[in-house]
Amino acid sequence: MLELIDVESYYGNIRVLKGISLRVPAGAVVTLIGANGAGKTAALRAIAGAVKPRSGKILFEGRDITGLPLHAITRMGITMIPEGRAIFRRMSVEENLEMGAYSRRDREIARDIAMIMERFPILKERRAQPAGNLSGGEQQMLAIGRALMARPRLLLLDEPSMGLAPQAVAEVFHIIRELNKQGVSILLVEQNARQALKVSSFGYVMETGRIALSGESAKLERDSRVVAAYLGKRA
Amino acid sequence: MSGMDLLNVYHLQIITFMAVNSILALSFYLPLSAGQLSLGCAGFMSIGAYTAAILSLHYGLPVFTTIPAGAAAAALAGVLLGFPALRLTGVYLAIATLGFGEVVRVLFLNLKITNGALGMPEIPNLNDYFSALYRSWGLQGDLAGLDLPRLAALTTVVFCYFVLAACVAFVLRQENSRTGRAMAAVKADEVASGVMGIGATYIKMLAFVQGAFLAGLAGAISAHVTNFIAPGDFNYHRAVNILLFVVLGGSELVWGGLLGAAVLSVLPEFLRFMQDFRWIIFGALLAAMMVFRPQGLLDRQLLCRFSLRKKRAMDGMDARASSGEVD
Repeated sequence: MLELIDVESYYGNIRVLKGISLRVPAGAVVTLIGANGAGKTAALRAIAGAVKPRSGKILFEGRDITGLPLHAITRMGITMIPEGRAIFRRMSVEENLEMGAYSRRDREIARDIAMIMERFPILKERRAQPAGNLSGGEQQMLAIGRALMARPRLLLLDEPSMGLAPQAVAEVFHIIRELNKQGVSILLVEQNARQALKVSSFGYVMETGRIALSGESAKLERDSRVVAAYLGKRA
Repeated sequence: MSGMDLLNVYHLQIITFMAVNSILALSFYLPLSAGQLSLGCAGFMSIGAYTAAILSLHYGLPVFTTIPAGAAAAALAGVLLGFPALRLTGVYLAIATLGFGEVVRVLFLNLKITNGALGMPEIPNLNDYFSALYRSWGLQGDLAGLDLPRLAALTTVVFCYFVLAACVAFVLRQENSRTGRAMAAVKADEVASGVMGIGATYIKMLAFVQGAFLAGLAGAISAHVTNFIAPGDFNYHRAVNILLFVVLGGSELVWGGLLGAAVLSVLPEFLRFMQDFRWIIFGALLAAMMVFRPQGLLDRQLLCRFSLRKKRAMDGMDARASSGEVD
């Protein structure tokens, strides 16, 4: 579904992606883990079109999407939930959901909003409130709901568990599983490596702008290098 | 003082300038509502004013074609400036657009067709236009106690407020539309708006060009109200003055800029009896404003307190304000 071939990108003069290749098969949850500054977010931003890759190719459903702007990529069926959720704090919960459907022009938007409020009852309860008043966990639900309003076939999640209470983290991973069951492919960037490997079928480990390791998530979870670097030894 | 004395031509002209300044406030507000601080309004205004003046003086075109032409010329300049300038953000965009205004001013100062520093006198006046119109209808003496010059001046006022009302209606309508939401989204977070599928570049360009159009419109109208324009009318002080309308009135709402324009149009006239000291008072008032009400005279909370019928909206807004969000 998504394929990156030798993608290189820069923040200014700094080479943050040193030629990475990865694949997200249709219907899969694939995770990208690694330490701070390894280039995980840079990879997502390159796919979503927030940063233009300097070289390499990005293919989505067979089409070359390298270098397309952010909004064009959203319209093709890839939606990113940026790090820190990036909800519109001054708009109401409902308005945020409407913004998510900006690229759509069909008549089912109201129905989809109702559906998302069904799935996340807290959003229904707070529909008229400014989104900035929601708690971190609720904001993450809103960010996911808003992303779903675009009806993406591929969802890019950047650190969805960051800064959330343990209970909210569990809920986020539960939702990721559920969405995947409904057919949305997911590329998940996470620092919470243990949870990320549990929820995914395939994983890539990034180190300083390169893919250092890859494999089935279940195997990575037992890989001694991954355990030592990211999971820690269990007593 | 009788009612008729209040309607003297001097008063009517101040009231007219209130409308022109209000349009300028809108021209500053529009780019700001998409997150861009543009100080190019004075430059666009001068393009509108000079276009209208040249077309009417040198080519004899009627007022009702030169005013739209002035606005269109400014909008075109907005497109040309927008391509390079909209890559900048925040204070850098402010400096670049301010620089643009200075470039335009110096250009008009040195061109032959604009008559350089001497400015362009005897621009056909809206009052004269309406006088001639009434005369052609066979109107000679008074109508309802108004002589012809006053009647014409009053018509100019009505005309300007009609144009202003159309501009306000457009901006308000746009704010509640898909485009307006997109502007608010771009202002709040450009990356997030892109992820929503909003083409931020297009939206920013749209807001910027709309602002340029309105500034050009205001410039063209003012050229036909004052009879005389010179490059010095559109200098740095003018740019800052337009900024002040919106900052003083309140930058969150359309109404804020309009209020600011009204106050700042009238205040210098009220302070006129103090002669040169009035600018000191004026400055002190502005400084006090920034200390005691930095968000401007009008903000969402205040507006909601005034509109009783929107009880539900008020609850939401109060919560919004109390959350103290600044984005």
